[in-house]
Formats: sequence, C-alpha cells, structure tokens
Amino acid sequence: MPTLPPVKTRHTGWMLFWMTVWGRSYPRVVGMQRERSWLFFDIFLPLMGVSAYVFVYRAIHAPEDYIGFVIVGGVMIAYWMNVLWGMSSQLYWEKETGNLALYIIAPGPLMACLLGMAVGGLFATTLRALVGLVIGSLLFNVNYTVVSFPFLFLVFLAAMIALYGLGMATSSIFLLLSREAWHIANLAQEPIYLVSGFYFPIKSFPFWVAAAGSLIPLTLGLDAIRQLVFASGPSLGFISVPLELGILVVLALVFLFVSYLLLNYMERLAVREGKLTDIRS
Amino acid sequence: MEISPKPFSIFPRSFLTAAWLGWKIESNWTDPFLFAVYSIIKPLAGAMILVVMYGVIANGNYNTPIFAYIYIGNAFYRYVGDVMTGISFTIIEDREHYRTLRYIYTAPIVVPFYLLGRGVARFLTSSFAVVVVMGAGILFLHLPFDLQKVDWLLFLVGLLVGVVMLAMLGLILAGITLLIVNHNYAIGDAVSGALFLFSGAIFPLDVLPVWLRPIGFIIPVSYWLELLRRALIGNVAQAFPTFSSLSNLQLLGILVTLAIVFGIISVYVFRLCDHNARERGLIDLTTNY
Amino acid sequence: MVEIPSIETSGLGRIYKVRAAQKGEQKQLVALQDINLKVSPGELFGLLGPNGAGKTTLIKILTTLLSPTSGWARVSGIDVSKNPEAVRQRINMVSGGESSGYGLLTLRENLWMFAQFYGIPSGEANQRIKALLDIMGLSDRANTRSAQLSTGLRQKMNIIRGFLTDPEVLFLDEPTLGLDVGAARDVRSFVRDWMNDDPRRTILLTTHYLVEAEELCDRVAIINKGRVLACDSPAALKQNLQKESIFEIHLDTTQPLDAHAFDAIDCLNSVHLQPVDNHTVMEVYLEEEAAVAQVIGRLTEKSARILSLQKREPSLEDVFVKLVGASIEEVENADSPAS
Repeated sequence: MPTLPPVKTRHTGWMLFWMTVWGRSYPRVVGMQRERSWLFFDIFLPLMGVSAYVFVYRAIHAPEDYIGFVIVGGVMIAYWMNVLWGMSSQLYWEKETGNLALYIIAPGPLMACLLGMAVGGLFATTLRALVGLVIGSLLFNVNYTVVSFPFLFLVFLAAMIALYGLGMATSSIFLLLSREAWHIANLAQEPIYLVSGFYFPIKSFPFWVAAAGSLIPLTLGLDAIRQLVFASGPSLGFISVPLELGILVVLALVFLFVSYLLLNYMERLAVREGKLTDIRS
Repeated sequence: MEISPKPFSIFPRSFLTAAWLGWKIESNWTDPFLFAVYSIIKPLAGAMILVVMYGVIANGNYNTPIFAYIYIGNAFYRYVGDVMTGISFTIIEDREHYRTLRYIYTAPIVVPFYLLGRGVARFLTSSFAVVVVMGAGILFLHLPFDLQKVDWLLFLVGLLVGVVMLAMLGLILAGITLLIVNHNYAIGDAVSGALFLFSGAIFPLDVLPVWLRPIGFIIPVSYWLELLRRALIGNVAQAFPTFSSLSNLQLLGILVTLAIVFGIISVYVFRLCDHNARERGLIDLTTNY
Repeated sequence: MVEIPSIETSGLGRIYKVRAAQKGEQKQLVALQDINLKVSPGELFGLLGPNGAGKTTLIKILTTLLSPTSGWARVSGIDVSKNPEAVRQRINMVSGGESSGYGLLTLRENLWMFAQFYGIPSGEANQRIKALLDIMGLSDRANTRSAQLSTGLRQKMNIIRGFLTDPEVLFLDEPTLGLDVGAARDVRSFVRDWMNDDPRRTILLTTHYLVEAEELCDRVAIINKGRVLACDSPAALKQNLQKESIFEIHLDTTQPLDAHAFDAIDCLNSVHLQPVDNHTVMEVYLEEEAAVAQVIGRLTEKSARILSLQKREPSLEDVFVKLVGASIEEVENADSPAS
C-alpha cells in the first residue's frame, strides 16, 4: 500500500469548534447554490404565492404600504421555513440518514454542528430573500422610507440570531419526538404566519395575543422592520423599535443558552435510550 | 409461458390497497386526539390570516360579498394543495423515506392508480378541514350561508368533478417529481401556492393585471371554485362579474371539459416522465438531499 | 510499563425497553449480557455472530452512541460513559450498507467536511483524501456528487471516511455489507495493509462472514444472543475442534432424518443435518475417526444412499455450530433479539 500522508495536526478547543461550524455550513453555503432550480422553487414559486395576498389587499382597496407589508412578510417567511425544515427537523432527518451518529462520534461538538447548520441556512436563505425582495418590490412598486439603516441592520441581525437560536433549541426537541417531528413542523406554519403577523400588523391583535406571538423572534423583528422602512410603519407598530430590539437581544441570548442546555440533555437522554441511530421504541 | 392480459380487478386493487395504505400513514403518527387538533388548527389558522387581513382594512365589517368570496374560496382551495400534494408527495415518501418505490414499481399493480389511491387519505382529511373552516365562518363570522338555498346537486357534482380534476393535476406533478431530485418535497405545495394566484381563489380574477387574467381562464380550478360559490352562496357569487356571462351548466361543462383535457394530459405526461425515470434509473434513487 | 488495552469491557450489559405491538405493553430486550473483552493495541479483533447477536449494540456502546445498563467499557483506557469526548478524539466508525454525507456535495467535499469535524486542517485533509481515493480507485469520481454514485461507491466513500482521520481505534461494523465480491476483497486487503503500516492501530471488526473473520482477524470473539461464547485466535478456536474428526456426508434423500437415530453411537459428539437442493448434507463430529463406520452402518439401516463422504478440516463455522448447536444461517432464520 502506498504511504498515506500522516495526520500531523488535530485541532481541538475553539479551533475545532469553528472548523466544525464551517464544515457543517458548507453544504448550505456552497452545495445548495449548485442546483439553479432554486431560482424557480425558492424564489419564483413562493413569490407567486405571496403575490396572491398582495392582490387580496388590492381587491379590498388597502393602503399601498400594506402591499409592502406582504412583500416583506413573504420574504421573511423564507426564514421561518428554513428554521422549521432546515433546523428544527434537521437533526431528525440526520438521524434517518445515518449522519447524526457520525456527528456524535466525531470530536467536533454537536453545538458547533447545529451552529453550522444555522449559519449555512441563514446565508442560503438571505440570498433567496434578497432576490425575492428586489423582484417583489419592483413588481409591485413598493416604496420604502428607511429611517435608519444601522438600526435596520441591528434589528435584522438580532431577529436572525434569536430565530436561529430558537431553531437550534427546537431541533433537540424534535429529535426526541421522532416521527411526530415532521407533523409538528408542518403544524407550525399557518398558525405562526397568523400570530406573527407576516401579512398584517400585529397591533391588530389584543395586546396579550401579540405579546405571546412575540416569543417568535420574527414577530417583533417584522414589526420593527416595518416601522423602520414604511411611512405608515410607526403608526401601526406594536411597541417602540428600541424596546423591540432589546427584547430580541434578550430572546437571542435565552434561546442560544436554552439550545445549549437542551442539546446536552438530548444527547445524554438519547445515548441512554438508544435513540441516536435507530428507532427502537 | 403465456402471459395473460391485466385483469380489470388490477385497477381497483391498486387503488383500494393504496387508499388503505395512505390512511394508515396519515393517521399513524400520533393519537387520534392530537391528529384531530392538527386537522383543525392548521386550516383554521390559514383562514384566520385572511380574516385578520380583511378585518384590519374593513374595520371588522365581515358582512360583505367580497369577504364571503375570499373566505369560501380559501376554504375549498384546501383541496387543491392537499389532493395534488398527497399524490405527488407519495413519490418522495416512497422513494426517499420508506424506500419502497422500487417494490411498488415491480409489483403487478397500476402505478397511477396506486398514486391516486394514496391521495384519498389527504382528500378525507381535507374534507374534515373544509367542514371545520366553513363551520367556523358560518358560526362566528356570519357567512351568508343558508342551508335551504344551497344547490346541493350542483355542489356535489361540482365537488366530485373538481376533485377528479385535482387528482389528474396531482398525477402530472407526480410524474415531474419522478424526474426531479432536489426540491421535489416542495413541488406540490409550491405549485398549489402558485395556482393560488391565478385561480381566483381569494380575489376575483379582474383584480389581476389584464395580461395575467387569461392564465386564470385556462386553469380548471378557477371554474371549479366559481361553481362551488354559486352552489353555496348563489346570490353573493353573482356580485362578481368575472364569470357572470356563463350559466351554471356552461360553467360545469367547461369544468368537465378541462378535467378531461387535463386527464388526458396527465396520462401522457406521467407515461413520459415514467419512461424517462426508468431510463435514467431514478425510480430507486436515494439522494440524502 | 503496563500496556493500556485499546478496548476493555467488564460485565458489560445492555437492556432495551421495547414497546410491543399491544399498546401499553412493554418488554425488555436483553441485547448484551456480561461481556468481558480485552483488545490490545495493534490487534485486529473480530466479533463474529449472526444478525441480532449484539455486535452492533456493542459497537454503539464503544463508540459512545449508547450507554450500557450494566458494567463498564473503556477505549484507549478512557471510560466511554464518563468521558465520551476524549474517546471521540481517538476513534472512528464505519457501518456497512450505509452511506454518509450529503447528495449534493461531491465525494471529495463530503470527505473534507468530515475531516473538519475531526480538526484536521484542509491542506492535510485534502492530501489524505487524494491518497485514499487513489488507493480505493475512486480518483476519477472525486468531483462527482455523491447522489450520482452507485450504492457500492457510496459505501466505499463511507469506508474512506473512517480511515481518513487515522484513528487509534477504528470500529468496522460489517464494512463489506452490500459490496460486490471484488470490492469486498479490495476492502479487506486495504484493511490488512493499513494495520500492517502502523502497529499501534487497532480495529474491532464485526461480521457474520466467517471467511472475513478467518482472513483478517488476529482474534475472534464468537457472540450469540448477547453473550460471548468463545474468544481466541481463529487457529486456536479451530484447534480445539481438531480433537474431533469432522466428516461431511452428502445423502441422496430429502426425507427428514432423525438426528437422534445416531445417539447410540459411541464417540459421536454431534450430528448436524441440513437439506440442500435435492439432497441432505450431514456433518458428523466424532471423537474417534473409526466411529464413522458406525455412522455409515446406521445410514444403511435407514436406507439413506450416500453420495459422497469426506473428512474436512474444522472451520470457524464448525466452531460456531459446536458452541451454538446451529449454523449462523440457521440462527438468523430463527427468532433472535435485534442487535
């Protein structure tokens, strides 16, 4: 046998952590862009679905800003779908395909794997969201009045960190739910679109309903974004933007911490019950 | 060895066995109570999105023809996604998840009938959802629905023809799904989402730009929803001019014709896609996508 | 200096709770019982047994995927339950019949991705990937997406993944499952060469292919129904049987023969009958060679026509039959606990 080049270096600690994040994000950052069909399936078709809601507002003679609400909301739905299907259900899917066991036995932390999935998913979805936003805005002549770009960026960043933190937390739960995970994820589509106000201001809801919906980071994220980019946004906002930003930061920290705890708990439980590789009970 | 032609029984056998299997799969994931909750919350939430959208603009005045138009169209549009997806998603489930598609293909059954049978369970759960949504609309939002004024014959015939038409569309999608490796999980929902725009489900076709309206006129779903609205809330449906020049019979005739046309197309498309899939070895391809 | 075993177990056991078909009913499944093993560094250790014997369960425990319900296990001297992170830095695993990675990545990219999870810098990883692909004859497919590879090639990719990280202890769980004869031979040859290259490397190989165990393993543990029945080198295991004479008799009869019909024969240790095609193969284990005459006599009384008779050397299959009372194939066909 020809001599194999030796393995001279094995990084550990934080270096290993970030290498694992990068390795796991690679399929989403690079791989997902390979098939050009994403332009059709991830942009064109969803845009058509969102356009239906635009025309509903047109049919009932809603103010033009509401068209913008639908476009922005529809774009943000892509993030929710990515969190549901690309994060929450992903560990369960990894178990089904046999990859989960390989991640567990590797020295790279599982948290880094999850973070890699989140980073990769965020990247791929942002690419799609931007294209969808530009096309939708041009098609329907949406007018934006951006109050503050730095604030807008901060709100978006905080919302995304919180959202993907939530995804990381729920991925552990979904892993333990096994078959039911797919249906739970399926169940969390329309109800979340409703309580998070993807297509309308959540100010329309009673306070406590809107407050409960605010546990989903996109709710406050969307509300803050609307207040920052639409002329009528501030008058239709739920609470002030600085307060929403603060809550989002808190949610981000909480969800990331909870995801770390849940992941450790899940791993211990799954190793004890034998649920990491095959479905036994 | 003499090979006898397929007995006629192979068609109902393929369909009924698949229907049984589809129901087992749909209902097996949790206990009945949770299953019922799932079947109520999802469709209601979908309807509520439109209710809130409308309520925000109309200040809560739901006693208008346009609201009834939107609500009923949305309620019955559920069949479009569920029946089409139920059939096309079978390909993905059986190929990637259960890894049984190769065995289905090599069994002495008629595959299109098998696929149609698998869609039956989705049709049943859809029907439950439609009843729930309509019930909620009548009870809480005062939909102008009078049991005595409903044209039941038109409704039942229209519903039946429509569901068959949707099944044919599902078969076309199933054929395409055979050939597509990635994104195939989203194909049923994505196409039904796109049809949402052109079928006049939640807004009259007249709201669309002029150059887009013809698309709505060649989609059978547009006529189907209009037929159902006329059967259920006849006087309200007449408030919208889109199909006002067509009588109920004409509408039904167009729907039946389009259903037949799409039925013929589905047979050819499925055969073509099936042939291509066999040539490219896609029947038993698993990808880990 | 005391050598630390690569793998060591003491009283290791694993019981599963299984939900039975009747709702609410639960029963226990004993997958492993009282496993005591010690594998030295540099050993290629085999675990031989039928499907459902407990081989995969043992591997899952040793690779930190499953915790034992009794006893303990150590890999490279580290307890798998108490310090799994330290164990993971030293091991890797390949499960036969499975693929890994993602369909939309190329073969090379999938392997690179896993190398990242082990902290191997990209430069080193790519060099090793290239060399391993050359050895396994996959260089021309390096840039092919794994979704487009055949099952056998994906399995080869999975095998490369296991060796890529150069682990101290490598677990191969039926690695040639699903491979054709030529590919399986290549894999076995590669495994042997890899072990010869560095005396510190250890492999634990599970298989139900006797030929594989005999060809590759320094020592073999025979496992059935969660228990280790014997553990020694293949030669030593077979030698224990050489105190016996083994005769293989082909009979021209499909009528069932009663094995108890030979109970009266002195020096007969065991009889094993197996219908094959249109005849019956009878394996006879005798303490004394001369007793075969009595066996022939009984067969004649039973009007069984002898097609052929030969004495043969004991194989691991014979060892298994002696220990379990049935061949691996027969045990797999009967009910057995899942592994």
